[in-house]
Amino acid sequence: MKKIGSTGSKRNRIKFIVGGGLFLTAVLFMVISATKATSEFFMTVQEVLDAENDLQGQSLRVSGAVIGDSIAYDASAGEVRFLIAHIPADKNLIKGAGGLNEVLHQAVNDPNNPHLAVFYRGSPPDMLRDEAQAILTGRLNDAGEFIAEELLLKCPSKYEEALPDQVGQ
Amino acid sequence: MVAVTGFLTLALAFLLAVYGLVAAFFALMLKAPVWIKSARIALLLIFPLVSISLVGLLLMLAGQHFELSYVYSVTSREMPLYLRLTALWGGQGGSLLFWSWLVAGFSLFFALRKWRTEADLLPWSLLLVFFTLSFFLMINVFFEMPFERFWLLPDGSRLLSLLPPSGAQLLVPADGQGLNPLLRHPGMIWHPPALYLGFIGFIIPFALAIGSLATGRHAQRWLEIARPWILMTWVFLSLGLVLGMRWAYDILGWGGYWGWDPVEVAALLPWLSATALLHTQILQERRDAFKRWNLVLVIVTFILVIFGAFITRSGVLSSVHTFSGSEIGLPLLIYAAVLTLTSLGLLIYRWRSLSASYEPEFGFNIETLTLFTNLVLLSILLICLLGMVYPLVSELITGTPITVGPAWYKRITGPLFIVLVLLVGVCPLAVWSGTNLIRMKKSLRTVLPLSALPLLAAWFVWGVRQWVVLVALCLVGFGILVMMMDYLRQVAAARHRQTGGLWYSLWAPFRGNLRRNGAALVHLGIILMAIGIIGIEGLQEEAQATLSIGETIDLSGITFRFEELEHSEDEGRLITEARLSISRNRQLIGMLYPRREIYSKMGLAITQPGLKSNLAVDLYAILVDWQPTTPNQAAFQIFYNPLVAWLWIGAGMLTLGVVLALLPVGSWKNRREKRPG
Repeated sequence: MKKIGSTGSKRNRIKFIVGGGLFLTAVLFMVISATKATSEFFMTVQEVLDAENDLQGQSLRVSGAVIGDSIAYDASAGEVRFLIAHIPADKNLIKGAGGLNEVLHQAVNDPNNPHLAVFYRGSPPDMLRDEAQAILTGRLNDAGEFIAEELLLKCPSKYEEALPDQVGQ
Repeated sequence: MVAVTGFLTLALAFLLAVYGLVAAFFALMLKAPVWIKSARIALLLIFPLVSISLVGLLLMLAGQHFELSYVYSVTSREMPLYLRLTALWGGQGGSLLFWSWLVAGFSLFFALRKWRTEADLLPWSLLLVFFTLSFFLMINVFFEMPFERFWLLPDGSRLLSLLPPSGAQLLVPADGQGLNPLLRHPGMIWHPPALYLGFIGFIIPFALAIGSLATGRHAQRWLEIARPWILMTWVFLSLGLVLGMRWAYDILGWGGYWGWDPVEVAALLPWLSATALLHTQILQERRDAFKRWNLVLVIVTFILVIFGAFITRSGVLSSVHTFSGSEIGLPLLIYAAVLTLTSLGLLIYRWRSLSASYEPEFGFNIETLTLFTNLVLLSILLICLLGMVYPLVSELITGTPITVGPAWYKRITGPLFIVLVLLVGVCPLAVWSGTNLIRMKKSLRTVLPLSALPLLAAWFVWGVRQWVVLVALCLVGFGILVMMMDYLRQVAAARHRQTGGLWYSLWAPFRGNLRRNGAALVHLGIILMAIGIIGIEGLQEEAQATLSIGETIDLSGITFRFEELEHSEDEGRLITEARLSISRNRQLIGMLYPRREIYSKMGLAITQPGLKSNLAVDLYAILVDWQPTTPNQAAFQIFYNPLVAWLWIGAGMLTLGVVLALLPVGSWKNRREKRPG
């Protein structure tokens, strides 16, 4: 092993610091550019409708309740259209209103609730059905229709926390 | 009776853990070995007690005792025995019992090992182990007790309780709710236990590190004792992650294997810090340096494990992996906070005494490459953490949560993973200390031109034009060639010594230096996995169409023909299965059987892809028909996934490498031969 004098040691250390610094700067640059290019605003249906004009072209993430009757699948074109109804984003608000399942149920059945039209290219996922919670990623087009690139669906679990009804022998 | 026994043994184990905590404390205060002895006996008893409880729950699961609310919630009559048994980790209560059982199992190490000069680590390690055991057993006993039963009260109301309330009658449901269909897969047997072993095993290195920090002694010895446990736990964690990828590939039906779901990311975090630890521990072993850094990495790894448990079990996030809302989030947070603050305090207290005189020399040598590998791994770790907290932080600042998805992760970590492949590739060329370029130049002269081969193949055969994929393939080729050169060099040296025949020489590198070549195999495994990942991330092709029977769809020169559709019923599922014939140049090369299974009782459907796999490409078809199926028409999504098979082969290679590196053979031999240097 080579002996390292005090000045050599200092220079050696500077090399490590510069090397590491350059690498971390590159990583930081990648983080910033990726965040600019791909991050999405997470909004409710109401918020999207309120700011429709400012949001065009912006990458968005919207959460809402799927309205089952509105689902229309064009199998030949491989396109799905449906409406989602506004649900609040605040967890405490949802809890206060009787839980997510109750909120989804009310959101779908309240005709005064604001709706957002969604367009999705692809086949509809298994869980796209009435009163499912949809989390959509995509953009608004000129017509105010939400072009979803990604669908994330959560179904109300019907049997959670339920005590059994049936009794065996 | 089984339920009550299960609970009582669990409660007794909890009391023993609390006793052990007190005994370890007395051992420290009074410096009396009798307390250590007593604590170790308590530790020896805890494992069998928790085992009895675990077996009790397994018996209830196997015997379909639906009066237990846990059994009721995760099993049903139509589930086969292996799924009823694996439902042990299919729900919160059972999986936490399994978790505690593993903690108790690993803790036996501290009771059974023969402690010699390093025995003064023991009281502190025991203190930590008993603290962990009492915490998790407390969760089992007071928060998520899996032995509660349903009772019917005289007034007709129903109640959940372990022991019968007065006048109550046991309520036995005719059938359970059953496991989430997504979990009914053979992957359920291996993926969760492998991951759990890969998480909990870190308790041994962590407890040893705390012992060393608290006593201020054995700064080198603790790591020597911990090394095999770090390696073993790391390989289980790696396998757990890969098995999860395979499971996702087989069942989630989106043609992918990794979705950057927060829970996946949470499981990747300890893997990243543990991988960094695997590398810097060698520097400490050889150079007596980086003592502080290795302690930091062990502590960070264990705390990330607990953080992962918090993410999955507290209900702060929801995904396929999470358990629905529960009360254990806060206790887990408190436990993690105590661990973090204690370790941090100890680290600060001992910081100065752990300084090292050695300083690595900057250059093309193993020390610098190891440090750079650490930097890359920890950058990925920080990026993943950032991705997880970004929505929360951005909500605090802007009022609107801004989320980052798979695209964000891929874009940033992709280049960093490519850098890791490069580092793995060049590492056999580096030497210890200084910069020795002679060996490198010699190897590079042969290797560099050859590593253009995969690039040319990709360009002309597959028509790849994405530069990232081309660079990645080039690096992969380079890495494999360097490793082959390295191996052949060792074989040639053995031939030169002429100690045996050709077969002997081929095996010689492994006999001579099992640890080094085991590590080389792990690296080869990583490179092979990279090939699979490059294939699916960079070269995947996709098509979708609605086909009538007899119609075809073409993808990448392969014709998929919809032959027929069949309906059947089995174990409570309605199964729709399509048959697709696949042919290339009008030559039939196989069949695909994508299917959809509807679990009528739950109203849930899952999609099982049809898969034909070989070393070059996976053909993967999903039956995506969603509207009521017409007898002769269905919609399909088809994927052409090149090279994916190498992801699984690489994982096998990696496991083999760790097993070889752990074999004690190499060290015996080294001791016998007393190699110079």
